[in-house]
Amino acid sequence: MSPRDLSLPAPRWDLRLPFGIALAAAACLAPLFLGNYALHAIIIALIFLLPAHGLNLLVGYTGLLSLAQAAFFGIGAYTSALMAVHFGTPFYLNLIAAGAVAGAIALPLGIPALRLRATSFVMCTLGFVIIGQAIAKNWIGLTRGDMGLSGIPKPYFALGPASFTISGTTSFYYLVLVIAVIATLAANLIVRSAAGRNMVAIRENETLAESVGIPTWRYKLVVFMISAVFAGLGGSVYAHYLTVVSPLTFQMYYSTTMLIIVLGGGAGTISGVVFGSLLFVGLSEALRVAPEVRMIAYGLCLLALVFWFPKGFAPLIDRFWSFLKERK
Amino acid sequence: MLSAIFEQIVNGIVSGSVYAIVAVGMTMIFGVLRAINFAHGEYYMLGTFGAWFAIEYFDLPYPVALVIGVIATAVIAVVVGRFVMQRIVGAPPETGVLATLGIALVLQNTVILVFGGGYKFFNGGYIEPVSIFGFTLAEQRVLIIIVCILVFVGLELMVTYSRMGKAMRAVSQNIECCAVVGIDVPQVALRTFILGACLAALSGVLTAPVNVSVYGGMGEIITFKTLPVIIMGGLGNVRGTFFAAMILGIAESLVATYVGLQFRDTVGFATLMLVLMWRPHGLFSAQARF
Amino acid sequence: MMSALDRRAFCIAMGLIGLGAASTDARAAEDGAVRLGIVAPMSGPNSRYGSFSLRGAQLAAEEINNAGGVGGRKIAITSGDSQGTPVEGVSATRRLIDLDKVDFIIGDVSSSVTLAMQPVAEDAGVLLLNAASSNPKITYGAGVGGFKWTFRNYPTDENRALVVIQYAAEKRGFTKFSVLSVDTDYGRAAVEFTKKYLPGFKGEVLTEDYYKEGEVDFRSVLAKIRDSGAQAIIMYGLADTTPIIARQMIEVGLAGKIPLIGNAEFNTESTIKAAPKALEGAVEAAAWLPAWDAPKSLAFVEKFKAKYRETPNNHAYVHWETVHLLAKAIEAAGSADRAKVRDALSRIKYDSAMGEVTFDDHNQARLPMILLQIENGKPAIKGAYSAEIKYPAK
Repeated sequence: MSPRDLSLPAPRWDLRLPFGIALAAAACLAPLFLGNYALHAIIIALIFLLPAHGLNLLVGYTGLLSLAQAAFFGIGAYTSALMAVHFGTPFYLNLIAAGAVAGAIALPLGIPALRLRATSFVMCTLGFVIIGQAIAKNWIGLTRGDMGLSGIPKPYFALGPASFTISGTTSFYYLVLVIAVIATLAANLIVRSAAGRNMVAIRENETLAESVGIPTWRYKLVVFMISAVFAGLGGSVYAHYLTVVSPLTFQMYYSTTMLIIVLGGGAGTISGVVFGSLLFVGLSEALRVAPEVRMIAYGLCLLALVFWFPKGFAPLIDRFWSFLKERK
Repeated sequence: MLSAIFEQIVNGIVSGSVYAIVAVGMTMIFGVLRAINFAHGEYYMLGTFGAWFAIEYFDLPYPVALVIGVIATAVIAVVVGRFVMQRIVGAPPETGVLATLGIALVLQNTVILVFGGGYKFFNGGYIEPVSIFGFTLAEQRVLIIIVCILVFVGLELMVTYSRMGKAMRAVSQNIECCAVVGIDVPQVALRTFILGACLAALSGVLTAPVNVSVYGGMGEIITFKTLPVIIMGGLGNVRGTFFAAMILGIAESLVATYVGLQFRDTVGFATLMLVLMWRPHGLFSAQARF
Repeated sequence: MMSALDRRAFCIAMGLIGLGAASTDARAAEDGAVRLGIVAPMSGPNSRYGSFSLRGAQLAAEEINNAGGVGGRKIAITSGDSQGTPVEGVSATRRLIDLDKVDFIIGDVSSSVTLAMQPVAEDAGVLLLNAASSNPKITYGAGVGGFKWTFRNYPTDENRALVVIQYAAEKRGFTKFSVLSVDTDYGRAAVEFTKKYLPGFKGEVLTEDYYKEGEVDFRSVLAKIRDSGAQAIIMYGLADTTPIIARQMIEVGLAGKIPLIGNAEFNTESTIKAAPKALEGAVEAAAWLPAWDAPKSLAFVEKFKAKYRETPNNHAYVHWETVHLLAKAIEAAGSADRAKVRDALSRIKYDSAMGEVTFDDHNQARLPMILLQIENGKPAIKGAYSAEIKYPAK
């Protein structure tokens, strides 16, 4: 123990950038060392990440609890499926259409719904999911009801002379990865903008926000529509991945899953949602224990989240991040 | 033609009675805890399972099985109430939604895990048809209507005259003042919750003989049917809930007959959406409290 | 509230549970065993079918293994739960292929799940044997229709609807019908086919209703049917719902007056016991029933009852038969190589309890439907009918 060791301060490295690069490398190289099944789990996690981002904007940033994500997810899925099966349109067109239709439908639904108080609003959003399922089941002419729409073609890209079909889990993984990254960046942009700060203001104290001039009503409606767009995009990718859609795409279980992702990961943080998606969806896919056990775990998670971990994993992620930064 | 419609209305009143008993519990729980109990249908299911278990494994007669079903649910309600529901008092509405969703998942799937997911056959109850006004009804259905009326009369009396009832009314009106006056709010919350859960269980056991099938997932459908009823009746409004339940039952019956059975389940939520757009505070209460 | 220490403990505990579950999941198959995956609804509203399917398959595997296995190798069965939904079915299939490394899959019961599984099996080059789905679309698109790795060992609904309506019109003289079927791909497709053939028998549909899985209140619909003047109810539905409808038929005064025709496990003993008057005279077309009078079939029923203390249903039988079919194909191919077994299957002449089975160019087995009528509380078999399938032009 020489005097020299005591006088110099410990070296501090900013490990965030190397960590980020390592993460990106792992994501890109994953197919090389992960089997098809693990990739499938991650694909599902990334697909659910899209509506989760939307829900995060609603719950985490604007403070509106909504169960409607499953409804817009289903609308997106069916839109894509119908276009692909009836018109044979290419994938990216279906994707955009899905988001657009979901967002468009969110407008007439959101206007009356957002007028309601918290409890009634939750009920109303639940109603969207149930009515959505009923329409999917009963409008046989359009949706073929319970028989579902099958045979959705694999995504096919034609860029000038080059064209390729996405077939096989690995290529689908990369496709979904790209889409998920773009969506995350978009969500990040929204959140860091002035609009994002206004959303937080609405969440914290709506009356005060209104009084300083933020048009709260318009914000809530727009956020509702944007979150629907995210959900619709997720639904579209889902439809193309499974190649089958059925009325079961509109189920409460998906809304619950998205809620767990957002709340568990940390509502109001982007990294939290990404983490939550991989953790809850990816893990539950990978574990594939009996579905009842999985649901019981979900239920217990919800209870734990509500009472003990209201911020979800976000604080842990924050601590880890600052640990990397300071290396203390 | 007229008698056909009349028969459907009677059918509607029968299903309405079932919804009413379940819904009144849920609405009282809301009044006191300010929480939508998403797990309410699960208590209906638990009561039915309790009774079924008693009949299937111990060969007990139906009335005894009924009591056992309700008691079993009450026991579970005490546990859930102590550990979860009491914490919801005074918390923001999201807490209630998420916590009860969690409970619903746990209860439903534990039952499926233990008993298996297949449909079980409920043996018991009074299914002999009896002739009333020219058409036949199973005796059990008449029993349901009678019990429904008794329940509501009883609740009306309890809420107006009993100490517990007055305390419940007080808590649903203003929680802070209750503490000042000396009412033990957590106790009242717990007791209301147990009462509500037991009513749901009672409804389940009463309906089991005519619905015949018992399975773990049966509670979820009940929750989804009851939610519209309590919102239309006005959250926390016992009398309004009765009428809303009857209206829903009759509407479902008429839709099932004249539009198609496959649309029956949507009547509830479709009507709810319309009511929410037009009269957000329910059809029967004068002011919007929630 | 929990202290920080408790929170950390909780997180660590969850993590350990997760790791524990993941590690115990690593299934090691016996060396050299033929790995067979069974995808069926083990939970959810169709769990009854899944449970019977798995048991039938396991009984067959046991019989084969006790007789020395197939080519000296034992059959190892791994099951996957589809929950009756396409999504879960696909997940289960992928898991069986990637993690459990099965070479052959038998699945699913629900047609919509099977349709979703087909591309997955095709991509992986895994043989998908369907034993219980009835939607014709599955094999319209199989064999020369596209999916070369899909085979079906079950008659299609196209045949069933025709057989039922023919009997009802010709032997019972019915012309006025009400429809009360389950609101799924199965129920709707069957009714669609029925309506296709009805005009040829001078029949008409007076009322048409579909019930959701889990529906328990049929009084309104049954009263409507009673007042409509229909002579029979066309019911393609769920086994678990039939007792409920039968009971409520008694309530409404329909029992014994209007028979049920179609398929919803009318011939199951417990269903008949629930409401004998309502089921008297019911007409059903099934792929199989326990009373089928063939020695192999009766032997199977006895063995199943002895092992599981329950009479097998249709799904148990078809899965049992299909496992034996697969074993014969592996023997004929002389190896468990997937491509060789597939080719052996297309050429096979298999002696099943329902007669000789061969596959056509769409990998569809040529199988009859059994027509039965409930008389005096017992199913009376009226005959077995086959039909040539007309494949749509490509």
